[in-house]
Amino acid sequence: MSHASVSESSAPAPRADSERPVDRSSRSAGSLLQALTMPLVLAAFATYLLVGMLMMEVPDSVDFPGPRFFPAIITGVIYVLVVVEVINIFRHWSSGSLGTTDDAAPATFSWRSLVWVIGGFLAFALLLEFLGWILGAALLFWCVARGFGSKRPLFSLIVGLTVSSIAYIAFDMALGLSLPSGLLGGGF
Amino acid sequence: METLSLLMEGFAGALTWQNLFWVVLGCFLGTAVGVMPGLGSSMAVALLLPVTFALEPTAAFIMFSGVYFGGLFGDSTMGILMNTPGQASAIASTFEGHKMALNGRAPQALATAAIGAFVGGFIASGVVVFLAPFLAEFSTQFGPAEFFALALFAFMATSSVVTDSAVKGLLSLAFGLGIAVVGIDGVTGIPRFTMDSPFLFDGISLVTVTVAVLALGEVIYFATIARFQREGQMIRSKGRPWLSKKELREAAPAWARGTAIGLPFGVIPAGGSEIPTFLAYGAERKLDRRRHDPQFGKGAIRGLAAPEAAGNSTTGMAMGALLALGLPISATAAIMLAAFRQYGLQPGPLLFERAPDLVWALLASFFIAMIVLLIINLPFAMVWAKLLLIPRHYLYAGITVFCGLGIYATSGSTFDLLLLLGVGIVGFLMRMHDYPLAPLIIGMVLGPLAETSLRDALISANGDASVLVQGPIVLTLYGLLAVVLLLTLRSKITSRTRRDT
Repeated sequence: MSHASVSESSAPAPRADSERPVDRSSRSAGSLLQALTMPLVLAAFATYLLVGMLMMEVPDSVDFPGPRFFPAIITGVIYVLVVVEVINIFRHWSSGSLGTTDDAAPATFSWRSLVWVIGGFLAFALLLEFLGWILGAALLFWCVARGFGSKRPLFSLIVGLTVSSIAYIAFDMALGLSLPSGLLGGGF
Repeated sequence: METLSLLMEGFAGALTWQNLFWVVLGCFLGTAVGVMPGLGSSMAVALLLPVTFALEPTAAFIMFSGVYFGGLFGDSTMGILMNTPGQASAIASTFEGHKMALNGRAPQALATAAIGAFVGGFIASGVVVFLAPFLAEFSTQFGPAEFFALALFAFMATSSVVTDSAVKGLLSLAFGLGIAVVGIDGVTGIPRFTMDSPFLFDGISLVTVTVAVLALGEVIYFATIARFQREGQMIRSKGRPWLSKKELREAAPAWARGTAIGLPFGVIPAGGSEIPTFLAYGAERKLDRRRHDPQFGKGAIRGLAAPEAAGNSTTGMAMGALLALGLPISATAAIMLAAFRQYGLQPGPLLFERAPDLVWALLASFFIAMIVLLIINLPFAMVWAKLLLIPRHYLYAGITVFCGLGIYATSGSTFDLLLLLGVGIVGFLMRMHDYPLAPLIIGMVLGPLAETSLRDALISANGDASVLVQGPIVLTLYGLLAVVLLLTLRSKITSRTRRDT
């Protein structure tokens, strides 16, 4: 799925570039922080690997390329590349071109949608075994639809319950996957 | 002739009512997901991966091949009508294809694409049938050093050839490799990076990561960012959905050339059908320049026919390479490999001996899938476009529910759902900052193979690293890799001037 990067650079997506303010504060601290999220995540991951390697107990009898060998290469590569990427980002940032290249930083970002979708999924994951599939999945459906700006909450709830019930019938009853019945368990 | 009789047995296995049902269902589902703007064939395969575990292996893989090829057909339909290719491999087709549609030749463009995809896929399937057993036999000569070279080839090619930024591609790859080392070490049995949590002893499930980055991350991305971006208008396709004799004569050589360009890329681990589609497009464009009245830029039928045929012939060959060598050349093939492993099957030379029924029925189902897809796509492309009437918020809500369903049904644990969310968020961040996702999947699938073969090779040579660059096969692979990297560099420099406007 590398189409994101490729499609937008080689095929001109019909987008309203002209409507976007040109000097959209691309030198603000916020845009710098946003650009640095991925390097930070990756550096954290590499640190997790590093700590794991230091804590690992390897008996002396293990031959040379032991269990730490390959992870050590990966960790090193991630650290080096993160540094390169961070230098890149700072260079773009100081020249003011950060985020102005095509689509690195999106024009609109909806925090509200982010909270609805992620929060909805979190609730679904934690409550699934208690609520059961039909109610849990309907809740997830409703939250995501809400995150996508659905205006009719009651109608969404009905659609969500229908979808989750059909999925329950098709996959649990017909195909034999096991989905929790939860609260409604007594009734089925 | 032994091959033919085996293939006939395969057809006998695939043509039972039950299996026919699964291949047709797969074709329908794949086309449906592919038609959705922005949703590609790899997302279709990722979403359906967990669900197919409820089926027996043969039925599951037959359905998979339908989904896979169906997604490719659907991708190009929307690329032509709306200029929104669902997958990188459909981009080259949209240049001339969308122009044809703009000029009122949408039905002919759709027909050209469908027939091209059919021709490419059908010929490739034929080649695979005869080549796969040889490939499988050839690969029995492979030792650890050869497998390491192959994996390295796939890593470099997918992370730096197909992507815009080599740094981001390599980071994505390293992240995938890093996720793959979590769990008990296969060589020594020592638990690694598990924080002593039993949930992590078996490692992080590839299925979870795939669904997380390809489906859930995409949903979050669409909810927060992509839905605010303006979309192209869909062009309605009216008129005769077939080609005139003149158009057929025009397109036929392009289909043939496209297929020929696509075939070799199916066995080169260079990230799937993106490169061959662009090569085929470029070749047609060069030929077009020599004609009296160049058609490119005005909706040239050849500029659509060639990449479509190339894309599907690569995909078809890629399935052969996956079955015979156990080597996935694209993210979608990597997901298929994961599916094989879930059933306890290891694609590669031994698969042809251990599970011939499955292999030959699967190969036979490629042909069936191609025919089914031609039938459901050629006359009914506009019917598929009706799927766009589903409101966006319900479509994506449904996809999210499906992600949860698949992961919970295969793992049965809340932990995996939380992991799905966590990785999904990282996938969303990667998508937002233009990190390619395919290298992550390839890294996760081939990481263990690369690690074990590297360590096996080194241990058996007492730590002497020169063992990694000995032998004709290994040297050929590294030579080929060098050539591919050089060619990429060249094409990256020239690609900016390649398009007609």
